[in-house]
Amino acid sequence: MNALPRGELGRVGLVTALLAIAPLPVLGSSYYESILAHLVVVAMFGVALNIVFGQTDQLFLFMGGLAGVGGYGTAIMADEFGVTAWLTLPIAAFIAGLIGVAVSWVSAKRKFTVVLISILTLNLQIVLSEVFVGARGLTGGSTGFPYRYFSLDTIAGPIGVGEKLVLYYVLLVLLFALLVLYVWLVNSRFGVAFAAIREDEVAASSIGVDVVRYKVIAGFIAAFVFGFVGAFYAREAAYILPGSFAFLTVDVLVLIVLIVGGLRTTLGPVVGAGIVVALEEVLVQSFTDWREPIFGLMLIFLFLYFRSGVVPVLDDLVERYAPWNDGDADPPPEGTAD
Amino acid sequence: MVTISTMAAVAIDGLAFGVFLALLGVGITLVFGLGEVLNLSIGVFSVIAVLIASWAVNSGQGVIVAAVIGVLVAAGIGLLVDRTLLSLVYRSTGEERILLGIFVTLGLTVFLDGFFINGLSLTSGIAIPSFPGSYGLPVDLPTVTIGAAVVRSSSLVVIGVGAVALAILFSFLRLTYLGKATRTVFQDEQGAQLVGVNPRRIRTLIFVLSVTVAGIAGVVWAVGQTVSVADGFQYTTFALIVSIVGGVRSLGGAIVAGVLLGFVNQFANFFVGSYVATVILFGAAIVFLLAKPEAIA
Repeated sequence: MNALPRGELGRVGLVTALLAIAPLPVLGSSYYESILAHLVVVAMFGVALNIVFGQTDQLFLFMGGLAGVGGYGTAIMADEFGVTAWLTLPIAAFIAGLIGVAVSWVSAKRKFTVVLISILTLNLQIVLSEVFVGARGLTGGSTGFPYRYFSLDTIAGPIGVGEKLVLYYVLLVLLFALLVLYVWLVNSRFGVAFAAIREDEVAASSIGVDVVRYKVIAGFIAAFVFGFVGAFYAREAAYILPGSFAFLTVDVLVLIVLIVGGLRTTLGPVVGAGIVVALEEVLVQSFTDWREPIFGLMLIFLFLYFRSGVVPVLDDLVERYAPWNDGDADPPPEGTAD
Repeated sequence: MVTISTMAAVAIDGLAFGVFLALLGVGITLVFGLGEVLNLSIGVFSVIAVLIASWAVNSGQGVIVAAVIGVLVAAGIGLLVDRTLLSLVYRSTGEERILLGIFVTLGLTVFLDGFFINGLSLTSGIAIPSFPGSYGLPVDLPTVTIGAAVVRSSSLVVIGVGAVALAILFSFLRLTYLGKATRTVFQDEQGAQLVGVNPRRIRTLIFVLSVTVAGIAGVVWAVGQTVSVADGFQYTTFALIVSIVGGVRSLGGAIVAGVLLGFVNQFANFFVGSYVATVILFGAAIVFLLAKPEAIA
């Protein structure tokens, strides 16, 4: 296995550490703990989109649907089999992953363009949304049901902290693992293959890159993550509703997060989630109703003028003005804490 | 026991929904065929026309005048969008433009949705009303009996007005100089430029025309149904399905697909319920996409 770039890992460690101490100043405020947990969940969605769209140009516009498969699937199977949700979570996520595999496999085989994939998945999103609302017997229809799975009392009780805080740290560990996975992916032979496919699919396959295989792998990982995180997304809201998994709720948010942060950057999803969630909170404080129009304008503006994102801009600034940094090629040794 | 007359009534409703779908599909097809922009905000223009028309009715206008005002406002907003946002989109080319068009029109949907729910009160006393509920056009039409079938006359309004609108659109494209110029841009942009046709102007014309068609679809649909701001995106996805099934560059295809899907949806609705009908509708689009992706690529 290739050595992982220590600079990237260092930055991942640094950001995780920052997020780890973030609840401390406001310890006990479940309001801030919720916001932070939401941030981490959204960041993980962003990383998943970064893998499938950023790395392999497959624009999945059914992220909400996949998250719903994970969220509903985990709960329904747990109730049905009478087992803990911790057991059914990987199964539900795996089912979401298989949906991703099917979409990626068909579209890679048939050489779908990015636009076709987006239209195909948008249609799938609407089918999934309809099923969440329509299959009342299973999903509770549009009234939904309380989502009280993933009991963390056994940990929270003895330590003497709130369950919410424990949940936050569980999510943070997941985010850290996911970011490490991302760094490993793009720096392994997968990353090389992804880059080759993005550059020129025909050329890539002519030198022996199995285009279908790599796209399917990216599709599986991303869909699995959406399904997996989707269950925690519902858990974090403590209630599951079809509307939470709608296209205009999840997909638009995740797209903005990834573009704000920076497509194909490791920390882009985290930075983007930080900015967007903070903005959401400001809007909630002052003018709640204007969240949607402002997000719409952001989507337009970002895609027209700011497609590179914040992280590359920050990188440029650091590279240009910071005396201790001599560029990405030679990362500073002190950034290795992880 | 399902009688023939019930079936006939379902068929008429299906045809009405089909004409509504066809109008929306034609709206998407016109713009994609000519400018490679998949207008994901088309449904919002239907909704805008209804909102404004219903507001005009409440301000004391007659229904027909109100409907015309609604469609004109939708067209006006369309013109504004074309001159501003789409001009920026048209600066890029190929797949880049399609992708940019998708995101920009998607953003426009999200923006307009939120905007119309909130309304806006400016300090100078000008206020844009908010539209939080659902709206219909109050046309008091009795049911009509055709043979043994009892038919909702709102369905006949949709079919009648929709068919006339489509006929006018087709005559425009076939018979007028401007329509012919439009079709030359469809077929060969460079050739059109050589003979003195300005493609950008034609694109503006077509975009405004497409949102006008969507506006007409909205106001006739609102005669029998109520429409809310949140329905806009659903109409867009309907339009998308129609253009996928009909082939995204074919106006005739959009009409056939719209009518066909209208029937499928209404009969599925009647026999297995609305939720399964919607799944069937979108499932059909997925099957078509997988079967002949070249229709949209």
